[in-house]
Amino acid sequence: MKMMGIIFANIYDSSLGQLTNKRTMASLPFGGRYRQIDFCLSNMANSGMDHIGIITRFNYQSLMNHIGSAQEWDLELGEGKLEFLTPFSMGHNGSYRGKLDALNSAMIFLQLATEEYVVLADSGVLCAIDYRKVLDEHIASGRDVTVITKAGISNGEKQLDLAVLLDEEGKVKDMAVDYAADERYLASMGAFIMKREKLIEAVRESVARSLYHLERDFILRSFYKGELNVGVYQFQNVALFNESPEEYYQSNLALLDSKVRHSLFRSGNTIYTKVRNEVPANFGENAQIDNCIVGDGCVLDGKAEHSVLFRGVDLHKGASVKDCVIMQDAVIEEGAELEYCVLDKLVHVTKGAKLRGMPNHPVIVERGETV
Amino acid sequence: MNFQKKHCVAMLLAGGQGSRLMVLTENTAKPAVPFGGKYRIIDFPLSNCVNSGINTVGILTQYQPLELNEYIGNGQPWGLNRSHGGVQVLPPYARSKKSEWYKGTANAIYQNIGFIERYDPENVLILSGDHIYRMDYAAMLRFHTEKNADCTIAVRKVPMEEASRFGIMNTNDDGSIYEFEEKPKKPKSNNASMGIYIFKWSVLKKFLIADEEDPKSQNDFGKNVIPAILNAGHKLYAYAFQGYWKDVGTISSLWEANMELLGENPEFDIYGDSKQKIYARNYAMPSSYIDRSAQISNSFIAEGCEVFGTVTHSIISTGCTVEKDVVVEDSVIMPNVTIESGAIIRHAIVGEGCKVCHNAIIGGRFAPEETKEISVIGKDKVVEENQVIKPGEIC
Repeated sequence: MKMMGIIFANIYDSSLGQLTNKRTMASLPFGGRYRQIDFCLSNMANSGMDHIGIITRFNYQSLMNHIGSAQEWDLELGEGKLEFLTPFSMGHNGSYRGKLDALNSAMIFLQLATEEYVVLADSGVLCAIDYRKVLDEHIASGRDVTVITKAGISNGEKQLDLAVLLDEEGKVKDMAVDYAADERYLASMGAFIMKREKLIEAVRESVARSLYHLERDFILRSFYKGELNVGVYQFQNVALFNESPEEYYQSNLALLDSKVRHSLFRSGNTIYTKVRNEVPANFGENAQIDNCIVGDGCVLDGKAEHSVLFRGVDLHKGASVKDCVIMQDAVIEEGAELEYCVLDKLVHVTKGAKLRGMPNHPVIVERGETV
Repeated sequence: MNFQKKHCVAMLLAGGQGSRLMVLTENTAKPAVPFGGKYRIIDFPLSNCVNSGINTVGILTQYQPLELNEYIGNGQPWGLNRSHGGVQVLPPYARSKKSEWYKGTANAIYQNIGFIERYDPENVLILSGDHIYRMDYAAMLRFHTEKNADCTIAVRKVPMEEASRFGIMNTNDDGSIYEFEEKPKKPKSNNASMGIYIFKWSVLKKFLIADEEDPKSQNDFGKNVIPAILNAGHKLYAYAFQGYWKDVGTISSLWEANMELLGENPEFDIYGDSKQKIYARNYAMPSSYIDRSAQISNSFIAEGCEVFGTVTHSIISTGCTVEKDVVVEDSVIMPNVTIESGAIIRHAIVGEGCKVCHNAIIGGRFAPEETKEISVIGKDKVVEENQVIKPGEIC
């Protein structure tokens, strides 16, 4: 394989608040049965990549548990295979400031690799993409760096890590980082392809000058100095950006739209995840489930509408859930009413409890809490 | 090779044709028949082995083994991918002197004496691949060891009037067996054999060799080997089992066993506790989508489904689509079935990968007392638009 992969597991941790208190962005549960990292890891595996480094900063216990021996992805753990690049293994205390810093700590990993190209990906943007197609386009174009982008994300409000404006010929006209770009701009999906040697050079040169931000200090800076040929790959299918609790909430509910669902799960790809050996979802006599995603192991005898119910949710008779994201193994007792809520794993909602958030501000209940 | 000695090795008989399951086993061995939404029949004895601490399992295959072999793979879903022991699929194979198919249950084990000897086990557990139950074989093994038995046979009480359909063990007060009757006309007791045996390997090996040398023998455990061991004066014990157990060798029993998973207090509680999980090979499918127009009650819906229609008292297995205005009632829908809008399915088993086209009707309604005739659609069949499959029809 000509390509290797690097996944950043901790990007946006801080912007997701309570949801990433005790886990990485990458191990945040998503869509009934997944963790966010399942998407980029499956994309890489589906693209024939078997050498992948996962850069973690902290809270990576749950991520390592989830990946296990990586057999679900048909990957193997080991040198030159799937590697966890933890701060300790990198001789680092985890306090790196940006992706270039992080990559600098992973320099040996990059140098020992034999693949010609490298894909860098954030775990917080969910899509089903074939990196082989991106590579083909990248090679054909003769560019130094290809930024994978998505149209229709920028809206003048959402802060984009990297916004790219093209001219009529499709050449990059303007780039901006951490910028609330208007609709004309394409949003970077936090994924890039370049030659491994190019990346090594960029990391070395930048870090030596105390520059650490991949997008700002390398891509944008070198582009404006005329030293870097940057182009974009415009991804056409669905991409879900989970960079804030509100986006995370909306992205989960977006799965109720068949177009989104089918683009992620039924476009000739498979998204793999850890097996949990749950029994099928059990719908009782009184279950009223409308417009929901339902994971295995749910026992449903109550009412749920326009919600995502992860594996093992126990919804008692007389309980009602609307516009909610309910993570694994929640118990919702009789008479409880939830609306616009995100329940982290193992939350217990006792009899008659009522919680109500707002569509743009869901109530977030932390892992293991009793309401 | 110098292997570590195993206390008990399990041998799972999975070679039967399962002809009474008709179209469902046309191209599939019975143990590979889907069950309960996401399982296959063989998951039950295999999971029982793992949950009982037995980590060396030989699976004897013969009939249509392809799908079963693929399903078992390296045994990883059951934690049986081990360097010493683990799961091994054992088909009949050519030998220098004589090559033959497995002639009977006992002959299948006889032909694999070499496999068993590699582990030098104290005991051998013989299992069938066509029963749905949850059982702690470790408890049975303790009983067997405590009694210092040469052979222990798991039994369960059946209604006296049905006893003549089973192999019946007549026992003394201490559980020792003094008589074994295969399908007796006038049963003396109702301890029916469950087809689960633990033998002292040294004893079984001797009798397997003797059985093989007897040209009149049918090489069957129930008919030949166990009676021979009993007649030779060895110590046989009956181990009483209390829980749910079902032979799913017929269409109606397979349907019933699926239905017995449903309801608030199901006959067979498939959940169990965390140490009694039933493991299965999992396919990477997204969680199911339940549409606003769907009405589901008293049913199992496995992962990877999209449901827009009405599902009552049924099992919908992984990867199925149930379109709008569909009615599924009292039925078992096996994996990857598409049911198009307007179709009605009642009292039926629809095989893996089938397509039921618009407005087709399968099966019918029955009065509570009436005998239910199950309609069955075989694997990968297409039921055409507006086609009617009558109650009890099998195709």
